[in-house]
Amino acid sequence: MSEYVNITIDDRQIKVRAGEKLLWAALDNDIYIPHLCAIREKERPNAGCRLCFVEIEGDTRPATSCTRTVEDGMVVRTRTPRVDRLVKTAFELILSDHNLKCRECPANRNCALQTIAKKRGIKLRQGRFKTIVREFELDESPDDFAFDRSRCVLCGQCVWADREVAKTGAIGFANRGLNRVVTTFRDRPLAESNCAKCTFYADVCPVGAFYYKKAAE
Amino acid sequence: MSSNNPLDLYRKMHDEAQARIKSKEDKPQVLIGTATCGVAAGALQVRDDFVREIEEKGLDAEVVEVGCIGHCYAEPLAIIAKPGFPPVCYGYLDEGLVHRLVEDFLGGDDPSYEYALAALERNDVFPTFEDFPRGIYEEKLILENCGFIDARDIDSYISREGYSALATALTQEPQAVLEEVKAANLRGRGGAGFPAGLKWEAAIKSGGNEKYVICNADEGDPGAFMDRSILESDPHLVIEGMILCAYAIGSQMGYLYIRAEYPRAVRHVQDAIDQARERGLLGSSILGTEFDFDLEIFQGSGAFVCGEATALISSMEGRMGMPQSRPPRLASRGFRGMPTVLNNVKTFAYVPLIIHHGAEWFKSIGTEESPGTAVFSLVGKVANTGLVEVPMGTSLRQLIYDVGGGLPGNRDFKAVQIGGPSGGCLPESALDVPIDFDSLHQAGAIMGSGGLVVMDQDDCMVAVSRYFLEFTQHESCGKCTFCRIGTKHMLDTLVDITQGKGDTETLGLLEELAEDVRDGSLCNLGRTAPNPILTTLRYFKDEYKAHIEEGRCPALVCRDLILYYIEPPKCSKLCNVCVGSCPTEAIFTREDGLKEIDQEKCVKCDNCRKACPTEYNAVVKLSPPVLPPQKEKAVK
Amino acid sequence: MQLLEGEKELILACVDEVLSNNSKNRENLIPILQKVQVRLGYLPPLAMEKIAEGIKVPPADVYGLATFYNQFRLNPPGKHQVKVCLGTACYMAGGDITLESFERRMKIKESETSPDRLYSLERVACVGCCTMAPVVVVDEEVEGKVTPTRVDGIMLALNEENDKSNLEQEPEQGRMDSDELK
Repeated sequence: MSEYVNITIDDRQIKVRAGEKLLWAALDNDIYIPHLCAIREKERPNAGCRLCFVEIEGDTRPATSCTRTVEDGMVVRTRTPRVDRLVKTAFELILSDHNLKCRECPANRNCALQTIAKKRGIKLRQGRFKTIVREFELDESPDDFAFDRSRCVLCGQCVWADREVAKTGAIGFANRGLNRVVTTFRDRPLAESNCAKCTFYADVCPVGAFYYKKAAE
Repeated sequence: MSSNNPLDLYRKMHDEAQARIKSKEDKPQVLIGTATCGVAAGALQVRDDFVREIEEKGLDAEVVEVGCIGHCYAEPLAIIAKPGFPPVCYGYLDEGLVHRLVEDFLGGDDPSYEYALAALERNDVFPTFEDFPRGIYEEKLILENCGFIDARDIDSYISREGYSALATALTQEPQAVLEEVKAANLRGRGGAGFPAGLKWEAAIKSGGNEKYVICNADEGDPGAFMDRSILESDPHLVIEGMILCAYAIGSQMGYLYIRAEYPRAVRHVQDAIDQARERGLLGSSILGTEFDFDLEIFQGSGAFVCGEATALISSMEGRMGMPQSRPPRLASRGFRGMPTVLNNVKTFAYVPLIIHHGAEWFKSIGTEESPGTAVFSLVGKVANTGLVEVPMGTSLRQLIYDVGGGLPGNRDFKAVQIGGPSGGCLPESALDVPIDFDSLHQAGAIMGSGGLVVMDQDDCMVAVSRYFLEFTQHESCGKCTFCRIGTKHMLDTLVDITQGKGDTETLGLLEELAEDVRDGSLCNLGRTAPNPILTTLRYFKDEYKAHIEEGRCPALVCRDLILYYIEPPKCSKLCNVCVGSCPTEAIFTREDGLKEIDQEKCVKCDNCRKACPTEYNAVVKLSPPVLPPQKEKAVK
Repeated sequence: MQLLEGEKELILACVDEVLSNNSKNRENLIPILQKVQVRLGYLPPLAMEKIAEGIKVPPADVYGLATFYNQFRLNPPGKHQVKVCLGTACYMAGGDITLESFERRMKIKESETSPDRLYSLERVACVGCCTMAPVVVVDEEVEGKVTPTRVDGIMLALNEENDKSNLEQEPEQGRMDSDELK
């Protein structure tokens, strides 16, 4: 098997490593595809945020680029009416469950959601869906960082960092469906977990749910 | 002379089993259906009554517990087999009837046919189930033993040629089993109808020595109980199917993933596994050959999403039952990362029959594209509720009106819901659709795992959609955006509509979102969650419009759009039943003696309407919730 | 919730026994949680921590599982458990009205336990007895065709049973009190 394959994304021919997932192949070549939950090192893609849709010639419906392995001769479009419709709906659904007080947010101007909105021309203040953001208690117990669940988009970047980088196992997902959250054992304050000092979470959080207290000042 | 030929070993086992079972049949037997549905109707009490009466009269008769014979509408049920008479099935049993049957039939010679449902063998005296319309359309393959054999006695199964397919297969190459299943075009009965043989073949092609066979018995569809019935009533059939699959693909270990909500099924299957092991039908050197295979039960812990293949595997690996993106398919990377075949209970149950009778026989039943039968749990507004098995290609009309006996009390058919939360509601105009995987899909529903709920004019289609969305929203695992948040917004919109809120744009937005959730979700739970909405919007849009535009629920179901009202001309002043039935003391007697409902206090529980004697029928529901003008005159 | 000294030992002994009878790998996590819940009626925090330790997985993961699956309970159940089936057939037959009737009579909402811990009320997806709809499971007994009137009957029977067991306990209680007075 050849080490590289040739694919076409939005009429641009690119040469990428065989076995690579389409999303990373595109991003490496400066072709933008929205994404929140993708983690390159993760063997099995999470495929949860549903933002990285593309259309592949020969497929009957749009596919998530994080789960598709590149194939020689693949012809891909990142913007088609069907892709745009799905991405817009997925994005607006996420926004309907996200605390949109950007001015109060430490991640303002450095936020993955703002980037997606800008690149795809989607308004942050969408009008289709009612807001369903719930109230959560702010966890400011650690010395250096804090956690505001009302901003969390459940991308799982922090849980991955916790398990694979910090190797602490202090946080994880809990509950099911709409009640799914990132939390500690029995929702205890972060300071009581074995990870009170590590700031990995704030480093990887794309939306300001985990943030440095200094940045919020 | 000892022989290592599996067929010889089997023959010996079979003959001994048959001799033992036949010896029991020399004396009268009472077979009582004690599957979960029978137990709910009081079958255990009936069993005790039989035992006591028989003992008191000093009779020599045996009481045996069997599974579900499928005629659940008449539970508790029993079959009495007395030498010299055809076996007769009795329904609606209670203490009095038990007393009479023991005295007159077991003690005397009067089968009391006036209480019988049907005989089970052709005879000159009394009709059999086959003589009723239901019997004409029904064709029992995998339900054949259900309700007739003692599920907890392996001899009962063996004496009916059980495990002979396995013995035959073991004398051939594994490839032969695969070829037969492929030739039969057995399609998976879990819902999607993917050919089982192709799945098995893919697992073989994946290579390696470690492979797994898993039976998906995580029957989570509300309104479906076929898998439970089969496991409770004939567990060995499923086990034999799994062993055959293991032999075909070269697996040494298999699991039955059974819902923890089905404790009786778990017990019966565990007993069956233990007995099969004792007989050398499971474990090492099965029937004297070099083939080793064993089975274990894994109890699911209550998450609908675990019916999805990858989620089921995740939960077996000690994780949250969350679906994964595919590929890789289970056939190449499943349990423990190894090639795995996952099939539904019913799919495995067909396998011994196919090996025993051959692929051609199987293909002679049903349609060309969907051979074999379909098993449904028939419930809702239908006379003969229960478990039915009909050849593929039977129309929905035949199933509901001929097999199910139509709607009770001359009620008007409105819709039939097929396939549970992932399925859809089909109207009268779709009743001639033949039941097979592809036709149902075209009509907007899915075969699903076989739940079939009949609805009449008193069922509101918007409320039904809301019910299913409530279910899927509650059961969404939360991993992907469309299912986690999309189902919530769809549900909120439906709740609004059932409360008369919304405007002309609401339905358009709902349909748009439903399509996106269908196209964008990660797994099949999410992708099919909008089906109840999409089908009701397609076939019953007028009902949605009545809610939004007129604030009216045509079926008088949505509680925010109805009120309860006692019609003065119909109310008998002398009767107080409604007053006593009201849990919130909302009904009072007016000065003129008529009863009236205090709307402030009424919780719309329907008690008074049910309580009002039928000769008056004075309590009515009104929608939109506006009282008739004469109300003004009432004095408290 | 504060554990009493005796309870703590009971929990530790139970977890120890279950852990020693099962191989301690992640695949066994759900079966182990099931077995512990069968014995204790719920999953106390202490039990979850000990199980996490025994299987060597982060406690957060055990908590994740316990909150993901419907079967697991984090609080002790009531003495009597009523499960109202809201499968399709039961819903069409008025299962929601049955549930409301229980809520009214027990003065609690679904998935709650009464303050005196006598009752807990749950909704379940489908118990597979659709032909008997609406169905309710009272403790281990399946009851079919449960109308609001039947709900009153069930509650009456449960209350009577409670009163009876209270009466049986009372003399003993009285004696203990008088002993203390001395």
